[in-house]
Amino acid sequence: MRAPSRSPSALLLRKLFRRRLVLAGAIVLVIIALLALFAPWVTPYEPTAMKIVDRMQSPRASHWFGTDELGRDVFSRVVFGARYSLTIGALVVLISVTGGVLLGLVAGFFRRLDGPIMRVVDAMMSFPDILLAIALVAVLGASMTNVILALAVVYTPRVARVVRASTLVVRELLFIEAARALGVSTWRILFVHILQNIASPILVQATFIFAYAVLAEAGLSFLGVGVPPELPTWGTMIASGQQFAHQAIWLVVFPGVAIILAALSLQMVGDGFRDLLDPKLRKAM
Amino acid sequence: MIRAAVPTDRSPGARPLHAALAALLLAVAAAMLPYASGIALAAPARGGAANLAMIGEPQTLDPMASTADLVSIIMQHVYEPLYTFDGNWNVAPMLAESLPAISKDGLVYTIPLRKGVKFHDGKEMTSDDVVASLKRWMEMAPRGKAVAKEIKSLEARGPGTVVITLNRPYAPLLAHFALPSGFAVIMAKDSIATPLTQFVGTGPYMFKERKPDQYVQLVRFDGYSARSEPPNGYAGKREALLDELRFVPVPNANTRVEGSLSGQYHFADLLPVESFSRVDGKPNVKAMLTAPFGFPYLVLNTKQGPLANIALRQAVQIALNDADMMAAGFGDPKFFSVEGNHYAKGTPFYSMAGTENYGRGDAKKAAAMVAAAKYDGTPIKILTSQAYEFHYRIALVMAENLKAAGFKVDMQVVDWATLIQRRNEPPLWDIYITHSAVLPEPTLTPPQLGDGAPGWWSSPAKKAALDAFDAETDSAKRGPLWGKVQEVVYTEVPYIRVGSFNSVTARSAKLDGYVVMPYPFFWNTGLSK
Amino acid sequence: MTRYLASRFVGMLIVMAIVATIVFFITRLAPGDPAAIMLGDQATAADIAKLRASYGLDKPLPVQFVYWLGELVQGNLGQSIFLQRPVTQALIERAEPTLFLTLFSIIIATAIGVPCGIIAAVWRGTATDQVFSGFAMLGASIPSFWFGLILMQIFAVGLGWFPVAGYGDPGVPLGERLHHLVLPSIVLGVVNSALILRFTRASMLDVLGDDHIRTARAKGLSEAQVILHHALRNALIPVITVLGLTFALLIGGAIVTETVFGLPGVGNLVVSAVLRRDYPVIQGALLVIAGLYVLINLAIDLLYLAVDPRVKY
Repeated sequence: MRAPSRSPSALLLRKLFRRRLVLAGAIVLVIIALLALFAPWVTPYEPTAMKIVDRMQSPRASHWFGTDELGRDVFSRVVFGARYSLTIGALVVLISVTGGVLLGLVAGFFRRLDGPIMRVVDAMMSFPDILLAIALVAVLGASMTNVILALAVVYTPRVARVVRASTLVVRELLFIEAARALGVSTWRILFVHILQNIASPILVQATFIFAYAVLAEAGLSFLGVGVPPELPTWGTMIASGQQFAHQAIWLVVFPGVAIILAALSLQMVGDGFRDLLDPKLRKAM
Repeated sequence: MIRAAVPTDRSPGARPLHAALAALLLAVAAAMLPYASGIALAAPARGGAANLAMIGEPQTLDPMASTADLVSIIMQHVYEPLYTFDGNWNVAPMLAESLPAISKDGLVYTIPLRKGVKFHDGKEMTSDDVVASLKRWMEMAPRGKAVAKEIKSLEARGPGTVVITLNRPYAPLLAHFALPSGFAVIMAKDSIATPLTQFVGTGPYMFKERKPDQYVQLVRFDGYSARSEPPNGYAGKREALLDELRFVPVPNANTRVEGSLSGQYHFADLLPVESFSRVDGKPNVKAMLTAPFGFPYLVLNTKQGPLANIALRQAVQIALNDADMMAAGFGDPKFFSVEGNHYAKGTPFYSMAGTENYGRGDAKKAAAMVAAAKYDGTPIKILTSQAYEFHYRIALVMAENLKAAGFKVDMQVVDWATLIQRRNEPPLWDIYITHSAVLPEPTLTPPQLGDGAPGWWSSPAKKAALDAFDAETDSAKRGPLWGKVQEVVYTEVPYIRVGSFNSVTARSAKLDGYVVMPYPFFWNTGLSK
Repeated sequence: MTRYLASRFVGMLIVMAIVATIVFFITRLAPGDPAAIMLGDQATAADIAKLRASYGLDKPLPVQFVYWLGELVQGNLGQSIFLQRPVTQALIERAEPTLFLTLFSIIIATAIGVPCGIIAAVWRGTATDQVFSGFAMLGASIPSFWFGLILMQIFAVGLGWFPVAGYGDPGVPLGERLHHLVLPSIVLGVVNSALILRFTRASMLDVLGDDHIRTARAKGLSEAQVILHHALRNALIPVITVLGLTFALLIGGAIVTETVFGLPGVGNLVVSAVLRRDYPVIQGALLVIAGLYVLINLAIDLLYLAVDPRVKY
């Protein structure tokens, strides 16, 4: 007997794009990604170019989103901000999924390791996300790398939990027992067979963690414990813009809307994935 | 004084008329009496508690342990110095009875102390308290340490006199006692400890409670011994009209603005200049523009790092576009001025010496100087904080100016507490930014004119120029001597004065009697109903 | 049942022990010297060394840890370096605004989330459902601090209906204080209602499809009765879980909201403590919050026991 070669993921993608909202979310996401990728060509100004005489101008033809207190073009900064947010989000997802999958697979498959691993996971999850992230960034220092590391540490337990739960279910499936009987090595069972079959819930978690990471980085930068304030991320823009909220509300509005669009489109896509999952696996989440 | 104008005409027929007239006038005068006395007194009402929004939470309440303005603003109500400044920035006596008797050679100052001045614990102030306090100040505060070098001996002569003997004539001595930053206050001898846990002073207000991040609460000291002269600047009679002062830390500038407008705060310090138009002209709030208030300045590390090389410091100076920096920091030109002379035209210390190096923003020339100095590419560590928003914005422009001149830049934005700690360590920074109030006595600020302040500026030229300046007690001759000091500063570039700015503070329309001074004070102020 | 409770309790202790270890080492590894910060910029090296010794900061790390654990077990969370008072006292002083904020936010979030979630589930697939579900997704995408800033601009600065910031002067009556909490509670409540809405909807959908619901309908009970009596009770079980989750979210959200609105709560305390390197406060706050979360989880599991007849331990 062989493991099912048709992973649910392929079926998923097809069903996905038949739902309009999800499609809309995916399109917005792609647009943001493209803007971020081609930022230098898409933006009329450098994000750090200061022109003091043009400071605090409201949105107009020459500056679509207006200028900030140092005369920098807000539109250009928002677009470059997308680079930071998407990069940070993607790296956080990469690290936390890798770590979480490893932990979760091991915990779900090896009964004796399950207890200790999950205790540590539970302990990590007893801290509210932002709180733990703040504490970690305080230790490591405020830089983009450390923010990514801190957030990855915060979200790894979540992935681990989901992976473990799914592993527990898939582990009991007949084909796994058969594979074992056939003498397939444990590593192969874990990383090929089980992993293949839990790919969907991991994918869903990944998209949500992306959204959380974008929101969390904005929050950390707003508090002043995230990336260094001279980097043009959406969070730092709102942080420095808030003191001018009365006379220059555009400094706060546009980065905020960008965050909402990014987080929203990610969640819509993630939701779409989730709704179309195999119900058996969905229950396990 | 109301005098009834009684005619002395004694013509018989006129007497009853005169009497009637006199009576009428007397009656009118009597009726006027209450109004007259009301006008004569015209002092603000007594009572009430004032909420005073400050820029943040003071690190400590020990005025000798910190040069932060915030500490001085609060604790100047609790403690008093021997001498203080009046409204024209002349030195006036406070706890001293009068100006000291100075010996002919200018070396011995005999300071008479006031009698019957009570501390908050009820004990009377004596020369022991003064000597102990000044000794502590000379050990702790940077200006104190600098002054200590000039002092040969400091001792009590009986309970009511203190004698200071100098090593050489030192004109700024009394001014140093009077400056609130790193304050030379007189504390009760028994309360002296480090760290300071009891705040026993002679001021019109007593320390009551401190809830960090919420408020510092001071209440009226009923046993306060006031001077009799009319109030003038910080000097003269001080009366605690308000029952209670609450200094509230409000780090968010916007919140300070909104709180003033809504009446939540009776006073708000250091509002962002952009908010002036919002606060000005509102019925319940008065916006106050203090011009000039202060100057932002950059301190360069002359001891360690790439800027220990004087040629590179000079390159930095040439690269900076001070006009842009001031505009970035303060926005509207009515809130700042851009000029290289440290003192304005018309003041005794005005000088244009060295100002050809100011505000050039000449990236090309600076780049040439950088290359000639064989800059090795070590990044210049710029230390700044967002606690004062204009610091951060100025630093951003500075970074761009430096990059244009070929420097590599490493911006480090930290919280204020970390900054004041880091600036004491030579390996940790190359330039940091701060600001100071504009003060009439040149050697009072910036601290780099003293010894041992961050930046560690020390050179024969500095010593020569400052010695000459300090020794000269004739005020007519001091002006040009200051010009020499200014020139050395422009040549050796231990610090760069970026420009002058005006500050915006706001007070409630109900806060009567408030006098605008750089370190806001609230004695002689009251709340009307 | 007692065996279950006992095993849960032991598990909880283990988790708390791990939490304590994590907390201690996180904060101790941070750079920055709290003694130097506390003594001010004019402190001499000798003064700083003396203060460090008095706080035990000069001993090796493992020694500090053991000492700290010992204190912890006695209920002593240590002394705040900056505030110069016991951490426990500082936390208690700051607890009021955070507790009220959390309470009101949960009330608002539940009041919006549960009914809307039920409606969305019952009218699944209709425009109403789409609107509510869309709102839920939007709510989960809005940064709470941004939402707070915008609401502050409109309602406090612009319309003047609410005070802009702070928690009122010392001595004002409770009503005045609560007035300060309205906007922050709305911000947190609305943003967190999203999660509750989604969860309520999902779990109602699950339950509505169940067999015993079909039976109830077949028995002839009215739709309203079906929903209210049978479906809701079962659907509420996972919702109770979500409330536990929401607590963690709320504390996180409270940190940011307290900063925006200048509320002197526990969240603000933690942020200032981080900036000031006040280790004891950071540790104490992390421990207390994590501890509360673990206890709440235990309470929720016990609630399950009471509410869900199917659950057997």
